[in-house]
Amino acid sequence: MKAFKLENEPKIESGFKTPDHYFDHLSAKILEQLPKNEPKVISIFQKRRMVIMMVAALLILALMIPIYTSISTNSKELDETTLENYLAYQSNLNQYDLISELETEDITKMQPVSTPEDKVIEDILTTNSDVEQLLFE
Amino acid sequence: MQEEQEFIKKLLNPKTQNQAFKELLLDYQRPLYNHIRNIVLNHDDADDVLQNTFAKVFQYLKNFKGESKLFSWMYRIATNEALTFLNQKAKINGISSEELQNKTIDNLQADVFFDGNEIQLKLQKAIAILPEKQQLVFKMKYFEELKYEEISEILGTSVGALKASYHHAVKKIEAFVTAN
Repeated sequence: MKAFKLENEPKIESGFKTPDHYFDHLSAKILEQLPKNEPKVISIFQKRRMVIMMVAALLILALMIPIYTSISTNSKELDETTLENYLAYQSNLNQYDLISELETEDITKMQPVSTPEDKVIEDILTTNSDVEQLLFE
Repeated sequence: MQEEQEFIKKLLNPKTQNQAFKELLLDYQRPLYNHIRNIVLNHDDADDVLQNTFAKVFQYLKNFKGESKLFSWMYRIATNEALTFLNQKAKINGISSEELQNKTIDNLQADVFFDGNEIQLKLQKAIAILPEKQQLVFKMKYFEELKYEEISEILGTSVGALKASYHHAVKKIEAFVTAN
């Protein structure tokens, strides 16, 4: 078989073709796809919308302040010291009125929570000589 | 060279940019298309890569230092884009670049945009056995008929090394065609 020599052969073309009119529209297509180099424009409306939103948010917060304060002052519960002071200095109530208002059940509930144990009493008596003296007498 | 400097200024000036880029497109679309097509082999891929190439050229134009010619700079971008494209395509298909190339050549026979005869197809198969660099050199010299000096600027290889590369490539191709 005869050895193949590139230089002895007529030039071999690559054989590649392109679709008809491919290059006619290519440059327009590429130019269309390029990123536009124009500076970014932010419309005044967009800027103003931002300001309007911020003002609206502040307004809503401002309107909420009286609601918050009214919630905290309108509490119906009286605090203990006010009640105590009222009972002690302002009212005509005396302890007898109070007792008459109480049921027996309430009075038994008012007993001291803990009764002193015997040992504690004994300790007090042994350490306190005045009490001993009083006992002897 | 002076003319090219003027042209680059036009490309960078926002006022003249569009017109200048259009001129650049019209001058280079065919040679760059052929260069890319010779690497990627089918039209659709070449079309994609060419558009990406011009997009990159436009994007990096402001960084173009003028150290090399616009011509070789654009060819370099096109070459890189084409090779990157092939590597990605091979990766997506889960095959090696060589397998992808052989597959693409097999598909050429049915390609409506390839009207090659038997010897043209055999030449493509012979090129496929070459290492990547030799393939590039052979295609640029033989099909695109670029000068060694131009190829040297594009690939950053000395003229001497390119001549040796081309010589090796021709020998291997001739041996392949003779044997097949």
